[in-house]
Order: sequence, then C-alpha cells, then structure tokens
Amino acid sequence: MTSEHYPEPVPEQRTNSHVLIEGVGMVYEVSERPLPALEGIDLTVRRGEFVSVIGPSGCGKSTLLRIIGGLQSPTRGRVLIDGTPPREAQRRKQVGVVFQDPSLLPWRSVIENVRLPLQVNGGQAGKRTDGQRDYPERLIELVGLDAFRGYYPHQLSGGMQQRVALARCLVTSPSLLLMDEPFGSLDEITRSAMRYELLRVWRSEAAERDSTVIFVTHSITEAVLLSDRVVVMTPRPGRVAATLEIDLPRPRDEEVEVSESFLEYTRRLRALLRERSLA
Amino acid sequence: MTLPVAQERVWIEAQAVGRTRKRWLRELLANVIPAAIGLAAVLAVWEAWVRLRDVKPYIVPSPSRVAERLYADPWLFAEEGLKTLEGAMLGFLVGAGVAFALATVMAQSRFLERSIFPLAILVKVTPIVAVAPLLTIWFGFGLMPKVFIAALIVFFPIMVNALVGFRSVNPNALALLESLAASRSEVFLRLRLPSSLPYVFAAFRVSIPLSVIGAVVAEWFSGDRGLGSVIYIANNNLDMATAFGGVFTLAIIGVGLFLLTSALERRLLFWHESTLDVR
Repeated sequence: MTSEHYPEPVPEQRTNSHVLIEGVGMVYEVSERPLPALEGIDLTVRRGEFVSVIGPSGCGKSTLLRIIGGLQSPTRGRVLIDGTPPREAQRRKQVGVVFQDPSLLPWRSVIENVRLPLQVNGGQAGKRTDGQRDYPERLIELVGLDAFRGYYPHQLSGGMQQRVALARCLVTSPSLLLMDEPFGSLDEITRSAMRYELLRVWRSEAAERDSTVIFVTHSITEAVLLSDRVVVMTPRPGRVAATLEIDLPRPRDEEVEVSESFLEYTRRLRALLRERSLA
Repeated sequence: MTLPVAQERVWIEAQAVGRTRKRWLRELLANVIPAAIGLAAVLAVWEAWVRLRDVKPYIVPSPSRVAERLYADPWLFAEEGLKTLEGAMLGFLVGAGVAFALATVMAQSRFLERSIFPLAILVKVTPIVAVAPLLTIWFGFGLMPKVFIAALIVFFPIMVNALVGFRSVNPNALALLESLAASRSEVFLRLRLPSSLPYVFAAFRVSIPLSVIGAVVAEWFSGDRGLGSVIYIANNNLDMATAFGGVFTLAIIGVGLFLLTSALERRLLFWHESTLDVR
C-alpha cells in the first residue's frame, strides 16, 4: 500500500462533500456462486471536483458509477448525494449521465434528443415563445452542433453523437455528472479533441453551478488531463487502491500535456496501476 | 467551435443520405421492370399452354379470357373486392388492437406473460378453418365472421413481435430515463413503444396478407358478399373465368396492401437500419 496517496480523513464540514460513498460493496450471483465485484469502497467527492476512476477492465468501475447514479443498488454500504439517497437526486433531476455509447433515441432529431430529459415526467421542454434561444438550443450551440439541430443521429459521426449526449446530460442543469468512458469508442483524434471540449463545456456551463464530475476511464492521459483527483481501483473485486491529487493549473490546454509535471503525474499513475495489477 | 474533422464527416454522410433518395427511385425501377417481365412471361406461357393444348375453359381459363371477364364487369369485382377488403381491414385493426393491448400488459410482468401467453398459443394452434362454419351460427352472415377470423389470424404474430419489441431497448437509453426518475408508463411511451416499431412492422408485413386470407375463408362459409363468395359460387357453376377474376382481384388487393405497408414503414422507420441502405 502506498499510503502517501491516501487522502487524510478530513472533517466533514471542511470538505463541503457532495457525494459520499460509504463501505459500498457489490456481490453478484453467478450460477449460484457469489461473485464479488466491489468491496469496501469509501470515497468522498467534494462539490465541484472532477474525479476520475481508473482501473483495468472488469474492476467494477462502471458498476460503481451505476450505484452512485442510483441505477443499481449495492449489496452493502450506501451512497449519499447532498445527504440524500441517489433516487432522491434523480427525482430532482440532479444526476446527468453519459455512457460510452451515445444512446441517443434514433427517432428523435438532435434538438429533440437534447430536450428529452426536460420532457420526462411532464416537464416543459424549455421552449420559449419570445423567439429567444432556449437552453437546449444554447447547449447545442455550445457543443458546436448549431447547424445540425434538425439532423437525426444516424446522420452524425460518432464524435458528434457524443456531443449531443453531452448537451443532453447538461440540459437539466444537474449538479452531478456521471460519465462512463464517454470517449471510449471514439478514434484517437476525435477523443483528444473531445477531452478539451468537455473541459470547456464543463467550465462554461457546469462550473458556475459548481458541478461535480465522476468520470470512469481506462486512459491514463485522460485521467490526468481532466481530473482534480484520480482514484485507482484494483482488479476484481474492485477496491480503492490509491488516490492521486492532480495539481495542474486550470484552464488546461494542449500545452499542459507536454509539461514536466503532467508527465510526472502520468508516470506515477502508470506505476500505481502496474503495482496494483501485479498484486 | 466545431471540429473540422467531424464537420467534414457529417457533410459526407449528409450527401450520402441525399444520394439514397435518387438511388431509391433507381432501385424501384430496377425492381419493377424485372418483376413485370417475369409476370408477362408467366402469363404468356399460361396463355400458350391453354391455347395449344386446347384446355377446356371450365378447367383452366386462359389469361385473356379472365381479362375479358374482368373488363366486362369491373364493378362486380371492385364492389365485392371492397367488401372483402373491409372485412380484412376491420379484422386487422381489431386483431392488432387486442394484440397490442395484451403485449403491453405482458410487458409489465412475467407473471402476466406466463398466464396470457399459453392462452394465446392455444388460440394460435387451433385451426380456425375448423371452427369457421360455427361462426355462421354465432354471428350469422355478413361482416362479423370475416372480422372475427381475420382478427384471430393476425393477432398472434403481432402480439409476439410487439412483446419482443417492447423488450428490445437500448439498455443505456433505459438507464438514462431511469436516471431521470422516469415512471414506467413514461419509459413505455418514450422508449419501449418506438423501439418496438421495427418488430411490429415485420409482423404487419406477414399479417396483412393473412387478414385477407381470413376474410376470404369466412366468405366461403358464411358470406353473402365479397370475393370469397364470388369465387365459391363461380366454382360451383364451373365459371372459371369469374373465379379467376376474383383471384386476380385478390392478388391486386394483396399487392396494394403490401406496397402501402412498405410506404408507411419507410416513413415511420426512417431512422432504422432496415430502411437506411447507405452502403
């Protein structure tokens, strides 16, 4: 254990904690045999913090994200968002999700897809009658798809579809964004552009509300570039192996990627991952 | 800011979509002409065979004789055809309505599925023709027996496909709606119902011609009107030209319904892989 990377327990009131994960464990039943996927996860995420969760495939990082979002119940422990259970946060539309697959509804155009979260449970679609741009329209502009509002998903490239998914997750102004390898299926060129795109969008839209992001990835570069803190997980069953604070200045741009401290962080993260997967 | 790479890709794909419009017309022509040639060849062989072998007109009439009969009395065939069509379409609507209702109920719980599905199979495997004479006793002559049999025939394929369709949803789109605390009925209307359309249309393609068969069968047994009774009476009188005239009219109705279904499918499922032949 590299104990230097463990955060010191800090009193609650000082951290302004947003997401509290306490002793979360998940055991699946596979052909009547228990298969532990997660074990004893303790994590506190501060308001406005960008936290990446990194680990090898099958370490349960996606499961953890689903539990935080209330899409799945843990077999042990609990998650609190603003002191309430995830389902309560869902009801207030405080949780935005983005998956690896954009999962747009193919029969809805770009703008209709972005409006969807507002329409769920009888909400207004945010349409304005005064001819001004409504929030969904402004989000589409923000992700650079203004000219493609009326297009359908099958007419867009993978990167553009993921931008729509990004706009869609922001449309309810959630305080917590959960992202499960959102750029995982994109080509390297698009992916590296999308990272900066995400940082820009997060800064301009979400940061003024102090939105928290929990971001699952298995890219070391991605984790270091985006995050305030990286949580390293062990392979099955998933445990928190170490956390690494990333103290790089924001806003971050391409220059950061070639800086000495950036490279040092990626080196340390790689070492942590290697250590854990051999253990 | 939109990325040039992604932008370019979208333009290419947008062009591809435009191209398919023209290609669709070309493909239609490419399909219609060979089909017409094939049909003409079959009719020519038929005509030649009847003339050369001097086949008696009360055994098999030549196509020219059938055409003459159709030309001599077009209103008979048109009117009786409309009667058959009326029975078939009403039956289709009733059958499809019941099928949808049951599939919706069954999609809600496995228990309901297990109690309803065996009953549906029982109805399905019962040879409807065997009970057709009974229908005259129950419903008398006229429209009701037609509607009943047509509905019974179309019901099963639509119910099965609708049920499969309701369950074939993108799991991440489902998770997205759950993360917004969407209610069951909302998930059904916004996701399950549209997702089922490709499956439902596949069932329509099968069951619409079946509904016409059902109506004709009913007319044999209990019809005072409709092409079924026209054919039945003509058969008894060894008036083969009229009988075949009825068959031809039925074929035209079948083709018309099939084309209508395809057109509707193209319109409603513009977003689905089956109608996107961009390759």
